[in-house]
Amino acid sequence: MVDFLQALVDGVMLGATYSLLGLGFTLIFGVLRRLNLAFGPTILVGIYAGSHLSLAWPGALVPVVAVTVAGALLAGVYVERFSFRALARQAPVVSMISTFAVWMQLQELVSLLSPSRTMPYPSPVWLPAVAVGPILLRSDGLLMWSGATLIMLALFALLYRTRFGTTIRAVADSSEAATLMGVNVAMVGAAAFLVASAVGGLAGVLIAQSHQQVTPYFGLWATVKGMTAMLLGGAGSLPGAVVGGLALGVVETQTLWHFGGQWRDLVSYALLFLVVALSPRTRWGSGL
Amino acid sequence: MLEVQDVVTSYGMIQALKGVSLAARTGEVTCILGPNGAGKTTLLYTIAGILRPRSGSVRFEGRELAGVPADQVVRRGISLVPENRLVFAHMTVRENLLAGAYARLGRDGGGVKVDLEAMLERFPILRQRAGQAAGTLSGGEQQMLAVARALMARPRLLMMDEPSLGLAPMIVEQIFEIVAALNREGITVLLVEQNARLALSIAHHAYLLEQGRIAFRGTPSEVSANEAISRAYLGIKRG
Ligand SMILES: Nc1ncnc2c1ncn2[C@@H]1O[C@H](COP(=O)(O)OP(=O)(O)O)[C@@H](O)[C@H]1O
Ligand SMILES: [Mg+2]
Repeated sequence: MVDFLQALVDGVMLGATYSLLGLGFTLIFGVLRRLNLAFGPTILVGIYAGSHLSLAWPGALVPVVAVTVAGALLAGVYVERFSFRALARQAPVVSMISTFAVWMQLQELVSLLSPSRTMPYPSPVWLPAVAVGPILLRSDGLLMWSGATLIMLALFALLYRTRFGTTIRAVADSSEAATLMGVNVAMVGAAAFLVASAVGGLAGVLIAQSHQQVTPYFGLWATVKGMTAMLLGGAGSLPGAVVGGLALGVVETQTLWHFGGQWRDLVSYALLFLVVALSPRTRWGSGL
Repeated sequence: MLEVQDVVTSYGMIQALKGVSLAARTGEVTCILGPNGAGKTTLLYTIAGILRPRSGSVRFEGRELAGVPADQVVRRGISLVPENRLVFAHMTVRENLLAGAYARLGRDGGGVKVDLEAMLERFPILRQRAGQAAGTLSGGEQQMLAVARALMARPRLLMMDEPSLGLAPMIVEQIFEIVAALNREGITVLLVEQNARLALSIAHHAYLLEQGRIAFRGTPSEVSANEAISRAYLGIKRG
């Protein structure tokens, strides 16, 4: 029972960052109706940038966070410009293939520019763990959960309480109708892309401080986690992405505790397969 | 108010409009009849700027519209109630109405508030549903919402694409009463309809569009008097 609770708590703390990745995916997919496979790799660029800065300037946490987010934003602008805006008139699958090519570019780029494949990422290790009865809340987990929760609250406030957010949701709902209302849909799409990249960069900070390191495969890892969270949540619903991320985190940690680490990814992929195969009406990005 | 001259619009190799000319006069209801696939939606989309004509001109209040991007056309005073309504299904009724005023939100916040209240007054059902997701509304309610949303932009020309599509006869009559009332209040209307009898009952002028060409134009009584058209579109048999 304690094991179950401990794994549940760990899963929620971990899953909150998956929710962020899922939200980033959902925003781009919902507004542009195109899959951005390079979403994880844009975050990868940010984390490597942050890692380089932390090596050159040890102890500078705030600048490292800023550079990580800026790096993800910059890479996001690159993807938006060349895989989305430049290909807006082509079929969606063309954009998807293009994001795959960009993914490979970014992955090779960070490998080339880094002294080793595995790069360290700073973490506030001095923060204490908190014990609640028999349950131990590790500091990196608490940081992931609280950070992700704050970011999600801010994102939902932006999307549901501001005119900009309402416009984004309108475009996701029907870009044709939004155009008729006078919305410049291309501009809103680019703006949503930037918001998603910033959310991705922040998620990258939270995840990397927990891993305390990063390899070029982080791009693949983050894309898979984000896409799984989005699909578990119904492919196109923002609250769904939050739930999907949390569910993925809990399934992973429960599997880890009860069956061992080698089963962790297999079980989460099996879950994804079951959800996609069994849900008769996924929303596939009609409205957020 | 609106003059369409020799407009040609294509989808790739397919010409959907093969040189269409028509006019909508200020203060009138102009209706466009025609069978499925005639090009009615294409025509409205060309005027709205969503499609670009290959050639020809669209003038509104004396200014050229052809080539003006869609998001700017609504700022010139033209709103379209699109085919199948296209309400923002996941957004509330109130959010839908505010979205309709998108082009004015920045500079006329006060006016938007007044208009929102006026819309909820005019369509009491929308006030009842104000906090509900638009996708949960019935077809008729969604059509009312689509009309109200278009009005939130304060258009001088209101274009409607088959507002009766898929609605029960009683609801359709209600919608047409609303259109007629809006017209009496001074809004010029360009109405595309397959329900010819009802459309002609409120129209001042009518055009018949067939296979991308204007096949006939006249007053509603001239349309009814034309034997071939009556037989095809009004189901009236004579002699
Ligand atoms: N997106 C499109 N791509 C290609 N052809 C289209 C498209 N939309 C409409 N068409 C064609 O253009 C013609 C006119 O269509 P439309 O304007 O929708 O007619 P209506 O509204 O009168 O039913 C039809 O032959 C239709 O098949
Ligand atoms: Mg049509």
